[in-house]
Amino acid sequence: MKRLHIFLFTVAMGLMATTARAELTIEITQGSDDPASIAVVPFAWQGNGAPPADIAEIVDSDLARSGQFAPVARVDMLGRPTTETDIFYRDWRAINAEYLLIGRASGVNPVRVDYELYDVLRQTRILTGSQSGPPSEVRMVAHRVADAVYEKLTGVPGAFATKLLYITVDRQDGGGGLSRLTLSDSDGASPVVLLKSGEPLLTPTWSPDARHIAYVSFESGRPAIYRQELATGKRQQLTNFKGLNSSPAWSPDGRSMAMVLSKGGNPDIYLMDLASGQLKQLTRHYAIDTEPTWMPDGNAILFTSDRGGKPQIYRYDLRTGATDRVTFEGSYNARPRISQDGRSMVMVHRQEGRFHIALQDLVTNRVQILTQTDLDESPSIAPNGSMVLYATKQAGRGILAAVAVDGAAKFSLPARQGDVREPAWSPYLYR
Amino acid sequence: MPRIIVRPALATLLIHGLLLLSLTLNWGVQDREVVKAKPAPAVINARLVDASEFKPKPKPKPKPKPKPVAKKPQAKPTPKPVENKPVETPKPKPAVPKKPKVAPKPKPAPTAAPKPQPASRITREELARIAREELAATAAAEQAATTAEMSATFVALIQQTVINYWSRPPSARNGMEAELAIQLIPTGDVVSVTILRSSGNSAFDRSAVNAVEKAGAFPELQTLPSAEFERTFRRFRLLFKPEDLRY
Repeated sequence: MKRLHIFLFTVAMGLMATTARAELTIEITQGSDDPASIAVVPFAWQGNGAPPADIAEIVDSDLARSGQFAPVARVDMLGRPTTETDIFYRDWRAINAEYLLIGRASGVNPVRVDYELYDVLRQTRILTGSQSGPPSEVRMVAHRVADAVYEKLTGVPGAFATKLLYITVDRQDGGGGLSRLTLSDSDGASPVVLLKSGEPLLTPTWSPDARHIAYVSFESGRPAIYRQELATGKRQQLTNFKGLNSSPAWSPDGRSMAMVLSKGGNPDIYLMDLASGQLKQLTRHYAIDTEPTWMPDGNAILFTSDRGGKPQIYRYDLRTGATDRVTFEGSYNARPRISQDGRSMVMVHRQEGRFHIALQDLVTNRVQILTQTDLDESPSIAPNGSMVLYATKQAGRGILAAVAVDGAAKFSLPARQGDVREPAWSPYLYR
Repeated sequence: MPRIIVRPALATLLIHGLLLLSLTLNWGVQDREVVKAKPAPAVINARLVDASEFKPKPKPKPKPKPKPVAKKPQAKPTPKPVENKPVETPKPKPAVPKKPKVAPKPKPAPTAAPKPQPASRITREELARIAREELAATAAAEQAATTAEMSATFVALIQQTVINYWSRPPSARNGMEAELAIQLIPTGDVVSVTILRSSGNSAFDRSAVNAVEKAGAFPELQTLPSAEFERTFRRFRLLFKPEDLRY
């Protein structure tokens, strides 16, 4: 009996000892957030003749522009594998590459690109995919490869395979130059002029399905809002009211459009049902209400108003009809745009007499100034919320520049003729 | 009832009862030792580094750039024999590894700029390596260091090293948590990294694992008495829980 008790006691103590043994846990609550190093090896070309484009170079520069990645220079690569069997991981570890992207392009029409992404540290393949498209769209195919890689490694969809709309104005002495409405890839490549006019063109914007655009044109002698189908070029004049017709903004469901009209005497925000053409006045104030933009949920419209004496951003709730002020920092906040998650707002913010692009967190209301340049205007946010495109001045010329929402990365788009203004980043074009 | 039935029955009941008790109580209330990350020092303790400092060190591998993961076999400070120290210290240190004065002030990586630029990546890692060596030297040189204090210093060293290598993806949010199980061998090399608890975001989990993989080894742990190594660092956990992100 006694022996049994001792036995039981020992068993119990043994169990206690093993289960109660504490294991050290170290908490890591900070990081350094350096860009991840990725090697994009030139893709093999398995077709006839010259390859249609340097796919790897396009992917490489997309990833670099995002500021999230530091691509390895080609001269530093110790090998150029294009299939898994050619990979020697130690070559890539030696140059501190964390990820490795290889691929092969083939076919004439369509061009097909197969690619694989490897984790060098763990020596495993983490993504395999393929994209294809006509030879004329080969840059877009490359951007889609970059999108897939970006999404895999960051957890956020890429926005490289998207388009930009912007206006260029040829400068002439005495003013009044030729205006062009231009469509380009997200990296500024392959620009296509959609509309030329001797009269001003303003505020281009996208429909949520990215098949239509809208803008203001003075071609009839006074401002009017037009809608244009991208595929056919078919145009339709939506408004022709006395006074101001400006700042069209499609609702997230695509059925209606917010706009600024001054037919009631001074500029107010109106809502147009696009199927019936019916108008509804939203704001009614003797001050100027302008630059409407939608919250992604479609329940509210943000706009700029000087009803408080200085331009500030207000929110009009479509369900209750209530208007609240959103910005309180500084004496000038205008031209809001909202990220797709509804969390961040970018705007033009004046600080010490200079106009910068700033980001306001709509939950904490903290404002962060993103740009150091002067006279920054017309911010437009990428559909994945990672970058903000804006217009600024460089050596007296209007150019387009972009900045990451964390302020870490910046780039400017290749300068073209004339002044570039009012960029509008498209929604996702596929997904 | 005959005793021959009652006694084994009681014994069985008791064994099962104890088993259940130990399982239900102890798994849940395991007194885990959690070491929190200290807030980053507000002041950057920068010092000028001369390039010649790096030169005399023989590189273990013929690499063009010295990497912090590289082992530095000769740079190891001689381990202070712990047994030399009288066990009966006038001021007994608590067994709990409270942070010794040297640990909370790890000479912060003497970065030249608060926000490291991608261009200065090599330099930054180089400087981080110096900070790490200094931490290790502090641990070994501390004359009065008890084993617990040494452990605390090495915890700080592991923490600082992983922080230096942890680059979070943009989808990371404050409050996400990923817990990893780390296994070391006495040389300080990481032999296994497994995800115990995922954050639910694969990019975040990967960034955590990569931070440990990039660190690769903590060779300074060789100076630790092997009993302490076995007890604390053979297996431990890393809890990745960002608090310094934008949101």
